[in-house]
Amino acid sequence: MRRYLIQKVLSLLPVLLGISLIAFVLGVISPGNPAELALSRGGYEPTPEQIEAMERQMGLDAPYPVQYLRWVGRALTGDLGTSYASKLPVGAELARRLPVTLKLALCSILLALVLGFSMGCIAAAFHERWPDRVIRSAINIQLSFPAFWLALLLILLFAENLRWLPTSGNGGLKYMILPSLVLSSASAATTARLIRSALLAEFGKQYCTAATARGISRKRLVLQNALPNAAVSAVALMGNSLGGMLGGSVIIESIFALPGIGSYALDAITNRDYPALQGYVLLAGCIYVAVALLVDVVSMLLNPKLRLGGKRI
Amino acid sequence: MKKLLSLILVLLLALGALGGLAIAEPAQDPDAEIVLAGYRNLAPGEKDGYYCSKILYVWEPLITQDDTAAPIPCLAENWEMSEDGTQWTFNLRQGVKFHDGEDFNADAVIANFDRMMLGVKSSSFYPLDITAHYPNLASYEKVDEYTIRLTFSQPAPTQLYNMVNFGSAIYSPKCFDEEGNFNGICAGTGPFRIVENVLDEYVLLERFDDYYGEPAKAKRIRVKVIPDADTRFSALKAGEILGVIDLSAIPASLAVELEGDENFAITTTKSTMIRFLTLNGTKFPFDDVRMRQAVSLCLQRSVITDDLYYGFGTPTTNILNYSTPFYKEFPVEEDLEKAKALAAEVLGDERVRVTYLVNGSDASLKVEAELISTWLAEIGIDCDIQPMEYSAMKELMKAGDYGIARMQQGLSNSEPATIFRRFMLTSGDHNQNYSLGYQSDEVDRLMDEAAAALDMEVRTANYDRIQEISTEEFPVIPLFNDMTLMAYSTRLTGYDAKLYGIELPLVAWAE
Repeated sequence: MRRYLIQKVLSLLPVLLGISLIAFVLGVISPGNPAELALSRGGYEPTPEQIEAMERQMGLDAPYPVQYLRWVGRALTGDLGTSYASKLPVGAELARRLPVTLKLALCSILLALVLGFSMGCIAAAFHERWPDRVIRSAINIQLSFPAFWLALLLILLFAENLRWLPTSGNGGLKYMILPSLVLSSASAATTARLIRSALLAEFGKQYCTAATARGISRKRLVLQNALPNAAVSAVALMGNSLGGMLGGSVIIESIFALPGIGSYALDAITNRDYPALQGYVLLAGCIYVAVALLVDVVSMLLNPKLRLGGKRI
Repeated sequence: MKKLLSLILVLLLALGALGGLAIAEPAQDPDAEIVLAGYRNLAPGEKDGYYCSKILYVWEPLITQDDTAAPIPCLAENWEMSEDGTQWTFNLRQGVKFHDGEDFNADAVIANFDRMMLGVKSSSFYPLDITAHYPNLASYEKVDEYTIRLTFSQPAPTQLYNMVNFGSAIYSPKCFDEEGNFNGICAGTGPFRIVENVLDEYVLLERFDDYYGEPAKAKRIRVKVIPDADTRFSALKAGEILGVIDLSAIPASLAVELEGDENFAITTTKSTMIRFLTLNGTKFPFDDVRMRQAVSLCLQRSVITDDLYYGFGTPTTNILNYSTPFYKEFPVEEDLEKAKALAAEVLGDERVRVTYLVNGSDASLKVEAELISTWLAEIGIDCDIQPMEYSAMKELMKAGDYGIARMQQGLSNSEPATIFRRFMLTSGDHNQNYSLGYQSDEVDRLMDEAAAALDMEVRTANYDRIQEISTEEFPVIPLFNDMTLMAYSTRLTGYDAKLYGIELPLVAWAE
């Protein structure tokens, strides 16, 4: 197990290096002089002398490889530079905002799991009957709805008309319901579809036929026999969904006025705030890699048949 | 199945109860908190040159402006200009205290000038730049406890206009750190003080009970940050917020939805923003003034303002925004036949294809561009409309690699020289960065004369002529002057749009 983990972590190092390189190159190839951008907030037009001085101060006069190494070196100590827009340290800003995004992602994942598993189980249990048909239609609708549109519709219904939930803002659990619903919608649908297919496949296997012949109830068959086997693939899917959720949160956080790293990234794009954007890319990449590792470990724990290179772990 | 339905019902009821708990109707207690919202942080905090916007009424300037944008006293009670126009003496208001208990006096003002001398401070609003607000400032000094004097190396008869609002913001000297940044929540002298500022969420204002003037009517005002316009609108409709403020408070398309709803009202006033087209004057065909005139003549500006912006705009051909007292009204001429004749003189029988750049983040600009391009097609200009990221667009403009671009410009103060200088002087930064290619010896001379003129009539006459030239030679093609547009619940009173924001101290519960 330990050896497996070490190998996994080592195999992720090149990925992390690649992410850092992409984040750095993003700032380099983006149009505009960073020194000029840093100076020209609020309509101020800096002089060429001021721009030159700022370039030296920012170390932009050094060759790109040197700039990259310096940037990585600082990033390793948590120093991701200073935002052009807010003039605040990017690392501190991301740290302040990360809990909001993690809360949103966690709620969304949980909701996706609950909704996805429930819908998948019901659809499989009632295969080709009306609940199955309703759920399949719901899955198709969920997958075809653009998230921002769904967000606006839910706000219109639950906040503006029914006034059951707040339209936006950061607070307790009630503030997370609408954004989580939106963010988890597609993942829940995909999970439901996967669970349904996996369960139906399990139902066709001999152990299910034998269990049914022994008189085990349908409910017990689904929950105790088939579902544990079908769940492994859904766990891997959830890991992948997190990437989509991090990306999706960029828009969702903005719509629901949630001050997470997603809305920070959107502001950074709008303001061409490259240090902020680089910091976001690096952090989001690291989170994604960490989740991928976690999913691998959980999948392995759930399914003891998994082996590494044909050997026992 | 019944169990499932029961479960759904229970969930819905629980959700309803949760919602009911979440959004209680605010009490009509006159001291109950009033919640408003804007699209951005109105108090960006310590690293911002101003800490917060003027519209929060936390800090006050030496000079403010009336509804016609003319300078009027605020923390400076009165002033005097020397005969040669190089010295301004300001008598300060007495009995004023900062929110931190410090006295407002000449020492405090000098400390604020010392801070400005440390260098330009960037801001979400306007750069805090002493060279822009006090051009040719040679020295500043304390005369007595409540008098300061500014000395300029050249006559500065319109200096008051430069100092309006953001040009002379005053804070308690204890607010600043060594670099001139704020060391915590800023302390101004305004009718509201900031008690809590959570970036990207809200800023909480409380009435400053030691305010020297008429106290604010509301006890507490919370200004939330809701970036999305549709969400802001829903929050207003749902009663979560009672008004929207700041620039882009509410899009015109949503504001018209509130018309006729007795629970809400719209308030409008002139905006300091002007919308215009820039033409690449360094290249054919817009290097020819006749072609620029043809473009202006073929545009149906009232169609743009009425049909695309629901009447919330005023057509203009003047480069100067209509919110300054120096603004001169000129008739907006539309004449397609004349435009065709002028264009034919330049193009002959040929047609020309140009790139028309718009900021891709604003979808309405593409619609506007499509409309304008149909008129341009009639005078022989075919447009390739390219929505782009704004900075990439400006790079192309700077490189002169474009034909037409849609831009906008705010007026930082009532003194129009800045606008004329930026767009119409050969060395003007916008003239160069937008590749306008505009050059006029007459404008250069008029600006020099105006800068040296002590007589305001001479200066005004020169500014009038420069505006006239702008409507004849079109360094840019003005489209329309914007309107400030805000919406609020009729549960509030005193919610009137001003040139810059609303008069927050007058906002109160209606009953």
